[in-house]
Amino acid sequence: MFALVDCNNFFVSCERAFQPELEGRPVVVLSNNDGCVVARSNESKAMGIKMGTPFFQVKPLVEQGKLAVRSSNYTLYGDLSARVMSVLAAFAPRLERYSIDEAFMIMDGVDEAALPGLCSELIVKVRRWTGIPVSIGIAPTKTLAKVANHFAKRYKGYRGVCLIDNAEKIRKALALTPIGEVWGIGWRGAPKLASEGVDTALRFVEKPEAWVRSRMGVVGVRTWAELQGQVTIESDRDEKRKSICTSRSFADMISDFDELAFRVSDFAGKCAEKLRKEGTAASSVGVFLHTNRFREDLAQYYPNASVRLDVPASSTPEIVGAALKAMRLIYRPEYAYKRAGVIVTDIVEADAIQPSLFDFDWSERGREDEISKVMDRVNVAGKNVLRLATQRPGHYSDGIRHDFGSRLFTTDWTQLLEIR
Amino acid sequence: MYEMKDQEERGDVPVVGGKPLHGFASPAQDYLDTFISLDKELVRHPAATYYGRVVGNSMQAAGVREGDVLVIDKSLEPSEGDLVVCFVDGEFLLRFLSFHAPGGKGPRKAGKPGVSYRILRQQRLWLLPADDSLPAIEVSDANDFTVWGIVTYVIKKVR
Repeated sequence: MFALVDCNNFFVSCERAFQPELEGRPVVVLSNNDGCVVARSNESKAMGIKMGTPFFQVKPLVEQGKLAVRSSNYTLYGDLSARVMSVLAAFAPRLERYSIDEAFMIMDGVDEAALPGLCSELIVKVRRWTGIPVSIGIAPTKTLAKVANHFAKRYKGYRGVCLIDNAEKIRKALALTPIGEVWGIGWRGAPKLASEGVDTALRFVEKPEAWVRSRMGVVGVRTWAELQGQVTIESDRDEKRKSICTSRSFADMISDFDELAFRVSDFAGKCAEKLRKEGTAASSVGVFLHTNRFREDLAQYYPNASVRLDVPASSTPEIVGAALKAMRLIYRPEYAYKRAGVIVTDIVEADAIQPSLFDFDWSERGREDEISKVMDRVNVAGKNVLRLATQRPGHYSDGIRHDFGSRLFTTDWTQLLEIR
Repeated sequence: MYEMKDQEERGDVPVVGGKPLHGFASPAQDYLDTFISLDKELVRHPAATYYGRVVGNSMQAAGVREGDVLVIDKSLEPSEGDLVVCFVDGEFLLRFLSFHAPGGKGPRKAGKPGVSYRILRQQRLWLLPADDSLPAIEVSDANDFTVWGIVTYVIKKVR
């Protein structure tokens, strides 16, 4: 059996974990740069606020005190995600982390009758240890576990755990599942199917295999079989590296922003190259800076920060851009840096990327990938013949907006929770 | 997390004499894994451990002062006399937890369900300051109340 654990309204829940005053209130979290809404509490969903709503449209509600808002604090979310995952890992025979807020538990060898009870206890434990509420969907395939998770989340009666374990339950669940909600089909694949009368998952599985194959190829057939309880998506394809890091010590110490940004861009570019070579993409780009620890006469500073990408990327412009954003968060001119590094994490297969609601311009994205491919060809000799203007000293001073940020409660000694 | 990896790169792992050894291995090498790690010592449940900074001196009589760092374990069940971080009416407070009224007694309804621990729902409880200058708080339904975590260590800077 597979159990999909999904954190409820994850970013909002992370904010609430350290700001209990946000419990029960409408809350939204904004994208990088405070652009648009990327996470909503149930209360703000009920107010009709949609994913991707530009911030200025809900700003009046914030000013009237009807809506609480937070800038995204990906450092905090990353930390809490790691905590949730480690609680799950201690519970499940095998854990596959699927995204920052979702993981599949592969429950081979666990008594199926005991599963729902164990999962209920797990929900309590995760909530207590991390403050994060989760829902769990249990089913014989990953695609069905996703369906079950939707039910666990949508209907309060399930108390967070939904089990779909026999043919009758599968049929009932599929009849109630809009085709666009199915993992692997999504809202982009839905209109075409709906135009042929396939508007629910049940109608989809009732079509013959040949019908599915002719329209959606082998990937569609896999989904079709999974929905009928037949495992076709066993586990991640052979695991690639979980993170890629490029870091160097400098010959001299560097304080100048431009000079440091030049090095960081270079490291980020190398990470992007490695990602492309492996056919993978990363969702998180981190930067760390170190002062010279052997110079005890100088002030010491070892900061790190990471920036989360809405969609996993491997193009040089995207990775470098994110690295520079992260560097801006931590760079302070009064220190002399001896070492810096870029680390990309949350790595997925490049062809398994799910488009995100917030990644609006896919044509633009394709273009950046093309640029990167050309760069790879030209740079094949290993020399950086061709690189972005941002990879050498230049202009990267545009500040990013972060007006409603919460503290780095768990990662910065100077920003701890205050207790009276 | 990558900080930890990089610590190894930086050479923060113990190295005898500060340089890689050539020739005879030092007999001390075999004992290097026994060094004390505060993390290991003070943090029983890493995934459930958080830190907090004390503001103000409401718990001064118990030896906890402004600026001290609290090691907070959210995985523990609260018990009588625990030093707890609780969230009461919009702020985090450091208090002793008690299931008994300080001296007097009075009726009380069940605690607020949901986020707080299960056992707290059925029992009356009080939040006690370290001295009498502050009032004991009996938690009632009127309070927005959660026991956020149990304090396991207090770290003080003395120099």
